[in-house]
Amino acid sequence: MASERRLHPLSVLFEIGGSAKELVIPGLVALFAARTGQMQWQFWAMFLIVPYALIAIGRALTFRYSLEGSELVVRSGVVFRRERHIPYDRIQNIDAVQNLAHRLLNVIEVRIETGSGGESDASLSVVTREALQEIREKVFSARGQEVSSDTGAMALPEASRGRVLLALGPRDLVVSGLVHGQGLVVIGALFGLLWEFGLMERVSSSLFGTVEESGPIRQLAAALIGRGNVSAVRIVAGVAGFLMLVLIARLLAVLRAFVRLNGFTLTLDGDDLRSEFGLATRVTATVSRRRIQTLEVHEGPLHRLFRCASIRIETAGGIGLEQAQTQREWLAPIVRRSDLDALLRAVMPAADLSDAEWQPVHPRGVRRMFVRYSIGSIAVSVVVVMLLEWWTLAVLGLLLAWNAVRARKYIEHLRWALTDSAYAVRTGWLRRRLTVVPLQKLQVIAVTRSPFDRRVGMASVHVDSAGAAMMSDTLDVPFLAASTADGLGARLTAHAAASTYRW
Amino acid sequence: MPEPAAPEANPAPTHEWHPLDPRVIQLDRIAGLIVTLVASAAYASLLLILWVTTELSAVALLLIAAGWPVITIGFAALSWKYPALDYARTAYRIDEDVIEIRKGVWWRSSVHVPRSRVQHLDVSQGPVERRFGLATLSMYTAGTHYGHVPLRGLAHPVALALRDRLLPRTSIDGV
Repeated sequence: MASERRLHPLSVLFEIGGSAKELVIPGLVALFAARTGQMQWQFWAMFLIVPYALIAIGRALTFRYSLEGSELVVRSGVVFRRERHIPYDRIQNIDAVQNLAHRLLNVIEVRIETGSGGESDASLSVVTREALQEIREKVFSARGQEVSSDTGAMALPEASRGRVLLALGPRDLVVSGLVHGQGLVVIGALFGLLWEFGLMERVSSSLFGTVEESGPIRQLAAALIGRGNVSAVRIVAGVAGFLMLVLIARLLAVLRAFVRLNGFTLTLDGDDLRSEFGLATRVTATVSRRRIQTLEVHEGPLHRLFRCASIRIETAGGIGLEQAQTQREWLAPIVRRSDLDALLRAVMPAADLSDAEWQPVHPRGVRRMFVRYSIGSIAVSVVVVMLLEWWTLAVLGLLLAWNAVRARKYIEHLRWALTDSAYAVRTGWLRRRLTVVPLQKLQVIAVTRSPFDRRVGMASVHVDSAGAAMMSDTLDVPFLAASTADGLGARLTAHAAASTYRW
Repeated sequence: MPEPAAPEANPAPTHEWHPLDPRVIQLDRIAGLIVTLVASAAYASLLLILWVTTELSAVALLLIAAGWPVITIGFAALSWKYPALDYARTAYRIDEDVIEIRKGVWWRSSVHVPRSRVQHLDVSQGPVERRFGLATLSMYTAGTHYGHVPLRGLAHPVALALRDRLLPRTSIDGV
């Protein structure tokens, strides 16, 4: 079956559509502003998108792929022809995306991810359902797995095989929206727009009257400490308005959850975890359990209020644009606390923490965390006092008390556990996180001592894994007694050395 | 089975801590010298700019000028002493399963690289390293923070021998 295939003829349409979609918001803004006489050049700059769109169309027309014996070969590029070979057993995920247009026209956008990150990924936009089925068959048979045949229904070819691990209903989606609350993004955009059009001045002056300082935040702050001549009513109105905004943001987030996560279903099919979701844009994301490097369970204060949690996984593909777009960030956006353990065991059998012995860290860590927190507080207070009245120093007292509480709680909740199959770390007090890494997925182990550590006989253990975010430190355990740290480092290293790493 | 550890040719028998090649101290001192020169020149330029463009009093200017010898001597002393300290504190050890690297003067770390996690190895030489006959062995793993573990300050033949010895034994990749 080594014949060359082309993309579906309608791909051209989707490329044009894709480029046009990027123009809608700026176009509207430019149009609106053109009428007020500002921003002429932005309107004309929009036409720069035409050659970009033409190139994208050219790429779609000249795109070829073929399913060879052991690899997928992709040839693309208009001027510079690029040939990419992707062995079937390197393919980590095959994702399928269908938005409304895709569904109307009966086509699919396929995204193939490999472990080495963005470079060797392939995106087929758009192909038919049969083409996707063909690719899946080739890949899975190369892996030695059975594949389900297309049931021919309106749904994507991922038929209803396998065990459903999680299915989110409307109530769950509401909770998900309230908990994750990404409606603030919209609010932020709104603020940005208001600023652009100079409406911010008008809004804040009507709210706060005449105050010497400019800018709404500074006006509010000045009003609060009584420098301006603003009535208490106005202040209350301002604060109430802000709270109203927060509420609206949460409601928007709920709406967003309904659109993005509608019908969320997580299915376990053999070794593959398949999540399907979406109202307008239907997404099917598949990841093999073997590819999971680490697993994170998030429980913020809102999670605890609703007695649920969110689960995120990291795969070796890394944190790239692809991953964010297919929304694999959340393996389970929301799951009830009562269902959590069963789900974890199904997703990562190695993460059976039921008989894990959770170890604390050294209690002297409280003092050190307090110092860390307080350095920032002191710096901020000094600046605030210099800008405002002297008595605001009282705020520093409050901050220090709060830091003391925070430090104590943080150390109380910092725990680690090493079982026969996994290593787990619990961090955080308000926003709690449990991170689990199977021993086979351990990479480099580092035991570090800062000068402060050495003074008090402590050390930190850092465990590296594939696919982590660069700034992530959830597998770091600081404030361990030095001997404990060395012992833990040695054990983890022994486990890592004893296992061969299969991505 | 311990073999004689001649640092020039024979890389590493098992279970012993090996220091870096002593020539790395000179290399680091030269690098430190360059940094000192740059810092000193920058401070002097700053001083000059302040003197020419601002209205600072003579006392203030003298105080700032007094900082220049401090900076220069400070950097120079550090560039002289630090490489020797760093050399004393850096060592590596290779056994059947793990490569362990200990380094750091103030921030001390012990990095354990399981041999089964080494994806590939590189030996590289910068221009100055080449003149000293030194090289850097880079180990690449699938991790993120420690995806690249460099071991610099090795004698070139030692680095090459290490690379050959540490090459992944099996060809099972399994991505």
